[in-house]
Amino acid sequence: MPDSSASGTPLLAVAGITKRFPGVVALDAVDFAVHAGRVHALVGENGAGKSTLLRIVAGADRPDAGALAVDGRPVSFTAPRDALRLGLTVIYQELSLVPALGAGANIFLGMEPTRHGLLDLGTEAARAADVLRTLGADFDPATPARDLSVAEQQLVEIARALARDTRLIALDEPTAALSHLETERLFTQIGELTKRGIGVVFVSHRLEEVRRIADEITVLRDGRRVFTGPAAAVDDITLIRHMVGRDIEYARVPPAVAAPGPPFLEARGLTRRRAFTDVSLVLRRGEIVGLAGLVGAGRTDVARCIAGADLLDEGSMLLSGAPYRPVSPREAIGRRVVYLPEDRKTQGLVLGLSVRENVTLPTLARFARWGVVRGARERTAAARQVAAVELRPPDIEREAGTLSGGNQQKLVLAKWLLADADVLLFDEPTRGVDIATKTELHRVIRSLADAGKAVLVISSELPEILALADRIVVMREGRVSGELTAAEATAERVLALALPASHTAA
Amino acid sequence: MKTRAAARLGVPLALAGIVVVAGVFIPGFMSRANLTTILLHVSINGILALGSIFVIITAGIDLSVGSVVGLAGVLAAAALTSGAVLRLVGPTGAAMVAALVGLGTGALVGLVNGSIVARLGVAPFIVTLAMMTAARGAARLVTGGVPIGFPDPGDPLYGQKIAALDALHAVGGGRIPVPGLPTGFPVPALVMLVLVALGGFVLTRTRFGRHVYAVGGNEEASRLSGVSVGWVKLGVYAIAGASAGLAAVLLVGQLRSGGPDAGMLYELNAIAAAVIGGTSLFGGIGTAWGALTGALLIGVLNNGLDLLGVQSFWQEIAKGVIILLAVLFDVWMKRMDARRWRDRAAGESAGAA
Repeated sequence: MPDSSASGTPLLAVAGITKRFPGVVALDAVDFAVHAGRVHALVGENGAGKSTLLRIVAGADRPDAGALAVDGRPVSFTAPRDALRLGLTVIYQELSLVPALGAGANIFLGMEPTRHGLLDLGTEAARAADVLRTLGADFDPATPARDLSVAEQQLVEIARALARDTRLIALDEPTAALSHLETERLFTQIGELTKRGIGVVFVSHRLEEVRRIADEITVLRDGRRVFTGPAAAVDDITLIRHMVGRDIEYARVPPAVAAPGPPFLEARGLTRRRAFTDVSLVLRRGEIVGLAGLVGAGRTDVARCIAGADLLDEGSMLLSGAPYRPVSPREAIGRRVVYLPEDRKTQGLVLGLSVRENVTLPTLARFARWGVVRGARERTAAARQVAAVELRPPDIEREAGTLSGGNQQKLVLAKWLLADADVLLFDEPTRGVDIATKTELHRVIRSLADAGKAVLVISSELPEILALADRIVVMREGRVSGELTAAEATAERVLALALPASHTAA
Repeated sequence: MKTRAAARLGVPLALAGIVVVAGVFIPGFMSRANLTTILLHVSINGILALGSIFVIITAGIDLSVGSVVGLAGVLAAAALTSGAVLRLVGPTGAAMVAALVGLGTGALVGLVNGSIVARLGVAPFIVTLAMMTAARGAARLVTGGVPIGFPDPGDPLYGQKIAALDALHAVGGGRIPVPGLPTGFPVPALVMLVLVALGGFVLTRTRFGRHVYAVGGNEEASRLSGVSVGWVKLGVYAIAGASAGLAAVLLVGQLRSGGPDAGMLYELNAIAAAVIGGTSLFGGIGTAWGALTGALLIGVLNNGLDLLGVQSFWQEIAKGVIILLAVLFDVWMKRMDARRWRDRAAGESAGAA
């Protein structure tokens, strides 16, 4: 990096930004600054607040408190248009190109060159070719966006920003879907951007990459800024500690019985192409197994396959000694295996239905005779479940979509508790809920295991896995990389198994 | 909830308003005979709208119901006046066979629609658009383009066929004597009211009905909850098809003939009634009661403008305006709802923090 000093007025300065969503504080008085021609990396676990911060910089969300300044002058955005006008560009993970339009047309979308009121296709093509060439692109600007690779599409987005004379580009997890070679090329392009004096925000959880290109690093955790400093002055272990938050520890909830039973669900050599390979694991009644790993390690895919939501390509499972290979969630539920998805809004609940209707959705047959629902029985059961998970408010006729995040998660739990399953697969059960609710949910999960259920918990939050799991299975890049008992497990050991091999040496 | 305040009250209030205004200003509007006529005119569209809302609540659409009315109608009429059927079961029997043929044709077409949507995952708009064209073509093919019904005076079975047409007319055009109502109560209107009650019961009180709302509200969450999404879809298209078949039978009875071009554009009238009645084309929202009130609103409006001697062209424009107003009202209510949730959620999170 040419100049290591970060002095002078920052290009973008964010001070004391707070953003609340129902049930959770996404950002809590966060400060953050980017200087022209420098790369500032933003790292942290999922749910740490990185994306929210980017959305605020982009003018897509408005902060509840705090201030933004560009070149030291205070600014406020009412729409993404305002941020763009000041030269702030955010490139999200979900790229926003029009698939059927060519790369060139995408670059100039909304500011098409015209002559006599008509599109000036010649100028557009020439300028698109120009800007793409400066970025080292080797594809035809007329290629429709849908025919470009993810890396090429990213490049088109960057080119679009350059064509708008952008001053800052924020990239949200740009390398998540890139190959090694494509990542290298992206880094070269980022180098080109900084040479032109453009400030870059680079969001990633891959420390190796952050280390290579960042001048400064900021770590966010649970919506708070926990570290900012020059990249050269901090080592990986310190960063990891900041990310996973060794200082937050949930009280460990110990099992009631010391020894769990014999294997209840045994999975051998499970493989689903492009998701995970040769995964074997065992769940026992009375035991909580934690499934740890980075995002994209294949944990959710494994749980979905066990629950019949996706189909396995290879492998076999035994459930209570009998062969088990569900082809639909319905079949899995029939075998008393249930999956509690991470995304409550899109997979867990029907937001337009009432609390009652959501609670009884998987078990409605029990409250029906000849297909007719017996209202009194249904209401009694729903009310009992709602009380059991302490849903607030305990109103069974309220629309599920009006509940806060934590209460929606409780509702998902209430629904599946009613199903009285033997095997419960929790996917990020406490994502986006406040600490108090987290602790409550931990207690409920433990009581399920104590009641003889076999429980699997997927969590990206290490302290949660450490507090909850009796045994921890760690996945890395689609494979099981190791298994630890609660007694052996420490944050460092789990991370060492979860991170790609190159990190452990550092 | 699927019965938002807007859907529950907005349309009935508008309907009541129009009825009161029409009653005051249009002589003859409030007569029992005229109100009965409105119900009769509304009944076919009401039945089709009721069938359609099942599909629309699952976030689907059925464009084929109008053509199915045509196809099921000509097949029912053909069965009704078929020599073989008449010789075998007589005129009354033939009327029953015709009713079953009409209903069965509709249900079968619906099952085909449903299986393609559910098993092959083709967009409902495309599947039912194709079916709309194909079913209309089939109806014309079967009849050679001319209506089936009234027999040739020289037909050896002339008397039998007339008797069969009369038998079905007792249903499609029949009147039930009611004290104080000289014209009697039209059978199709009674059928519509019974079906609306039944449809409302199925939607709100049965597992199937619950699953219809769940699939329309969030298909993936429903699947993960063990709902058989495919069967639910198959079911709703079969219901829409069967109600089109039933409407066809009533229509053939009423007109004493089945024409290949019958039911043209009926699908759009049914969708209009559903939308005016508060059904959301995005799925998850709608009621049987709403379908009925939507159909009634259109019917009352047509009737009132008729009595005023307004040209039918103006009536069409009026209907267009009403549809737009109904949807705008829906959008507006949704925005109010969203604002209310946001305020409430903000209050709660501030309280928790």
